[in-house]
Amino acid sequence: MTAPDELKGKRILLIEDEESLAIGLEYNLSEEGYIVDWAKNGREGIEKINTGNYDLIIVDLMLPYHDGFEITKLIRSRDVQMPVLILTARSSNEDKIKGLDYGADDYVVKPFNLKELLLRIERMLRRKSWYKNLEKTGETFRFGNNRVNFINLECAAGEKTFRLTPKEAMLLKYLAENSSRIISRKELLENVWNLNSDVETRTVDIFISRLRKYFEPDPENPVYFKSVRGAGYIFEPGN
Amino acid sequence: MKRTNSHLYIIIAFVIAQIAWLGLLALWIYWYVTNYIVFEQVGEKLSPLIDIQTPNVFVFTAGIILIVGIAVVMFIFFRNLSVQYKLTNLYDNFIATVTHELKSPLSSLRLFLETMAYKNVSEEKRKDFLSLMMKDVKRLDNLINTILEISKLEQKKIVHDRREYKAGILFEELVNESILNLSVPEGVVSYECSSVSYCSADKKALQIVIDNLISNALKYSKEAPTINVSVKDNRKKIIIDISDNGIGIPQQYQKKIFNKFFRIDSVNMPNVKGTGLGLYWTKEIIKQHKGSISVHSNGLNKGSTFRIELPALKNKG
Repeated sequence: MTAPDELKGKRILLIEDEESLAIGLEYNLSEEGYIVDWAKNGREGIEKINTGNYDLIIVDLMLPYHDGFEITKLIRSRDVQMPVLILTARSSNEDKIKGLDYGADDYVVKPFNLKELLLRIERMLRRKSWYKNLEKTGETFRFGNNRVNFINLECAAGEKTFRLTPKEAMLLKYLAENSSRIISRKELLENVWNLNSDVETRTVDIFISRLRKYFEPDPENPVYFKSVRGAGYIFEPGN
Repeated sequence: MKRTNSHLYIIIAFVIAQIAWLGLLALWIYWYVTNYIVFEQVGEKLSPLIDIQTPNVFVFTAGIILIVGIAVVMFIFFRNLSVQYKLTNLYDNFIATVTHELKSPLSSLRLFLETMAYKNVSEEKRKDFLSLMMKDVKRLDNLINTILEISKLEQKKIVHDRREYKAGILFEELVNESILNLSVPEGVVSYECSSVSYCSADKKALQIVIDNLISNALKYSKEAPTINVSVKDNRKKIIIDISDNGIGIPQQYQKKIFNKFFRIDSVNMPNVKGTGLGLYWTKEIIKQHKGSISVHSNGLNKGSTFRIELPALKNKG
């Protein structure tokens, strides 16, 4: 298994202080066709973030000098699009929620399944490419009378302009990527929040309701963000 | 956040309990003072022969003793609760660090196994991976041994193999063994000795002590570590100093670092791995040798010196 051609040569920063794990990951990611840069601690990680140009960052939580939470927060404060994957031995729900809340896109607990990790990385890089394509063409995602700029998260619904939160943008982005397909709450929780479905599925409903308020002409009778009874949601942006 | 709240609840409960018992005491005094005359009158009517002073003093004193007793019990209760709370915190911390210490080598073992199972790994790389896997297995083995040995030590199940050694020779051997065990590069550790005394020691146990101290000096060192071990006599004691040029230990942690599960949480720490058991284990071994261990450091980036004091054997040397 190697990464698709369009993703080969993507630069990944790996911030991990466990030497043998880092060597193993570096080997596997390089075999996939990615270019890997390894930082051995939090301080080195921040230096590399400041100077390097990366497509994805993998960060451990328990790091010398600066922990993974701090680093994730720092990355997110500078770049809303940078895919960040937390790879850690800490498996408590508090840590997962904190990591995702600080802006990580994915949270993988050690020991992990190699194939699963590589697929997650590939998916994150695909999303990043999607962002970049938008940036290149200068296009804004449009549906109906709405415009969404996923780069700065600025939106316009008719005359009204506003800014989405990163999580709202991620949800909308996932729906847009999977438009005209029924998506279950479970799938949204797993892919947008990176949480298992044991966690309150009501979170999804709350966020969908927010999107309806922003973009639907009549949120009570949605035309874009439709509910599918017993199945989940379907996003129909129209032409 | 959760821990801070729990601590706050204990303090609030303690303050409320103190207010409650002080209130009770005040009520008791008030009740006694206001009813004093009634006591006298009732007592006189019932039996004029009773010495009215005696039972009153008795009732008053008994009441005070009872309330003070309640306060003491309450104090003991809260003290135990506070100790229990601290232990629970330490235990949680220990579970988190041990889980981390177990999961990290386990993850890399799994990663290498999956890599070799699914990918076409070259012979050279395979050898590298196997050597890294051996390191991880050793790390897991060390961790499990540490936990088991400390448990034995605490339950006093360890039978010490005490023998008499000339301190200078013993510690030179121990240091050389540590250099081999920890693969310390040449020239990093120096050794000097002016001691002529003998000591009674369990060589295997003291090896753990020296391994732990040298390993810590390396883990918490800067780019080019230098470690000096010196052994000298001071009256009836043998002094072993292990000094390094590492990042040092802030004053406020110098006593705490020997506590079980204690770990310094600071942005200046170059290493966050560990269980918080190494120095506790070291201290316990030294204690069993009827000695003591302390640390001195002038602060951040000024190195540290661990001092072990062992009793010298009489009529020897």
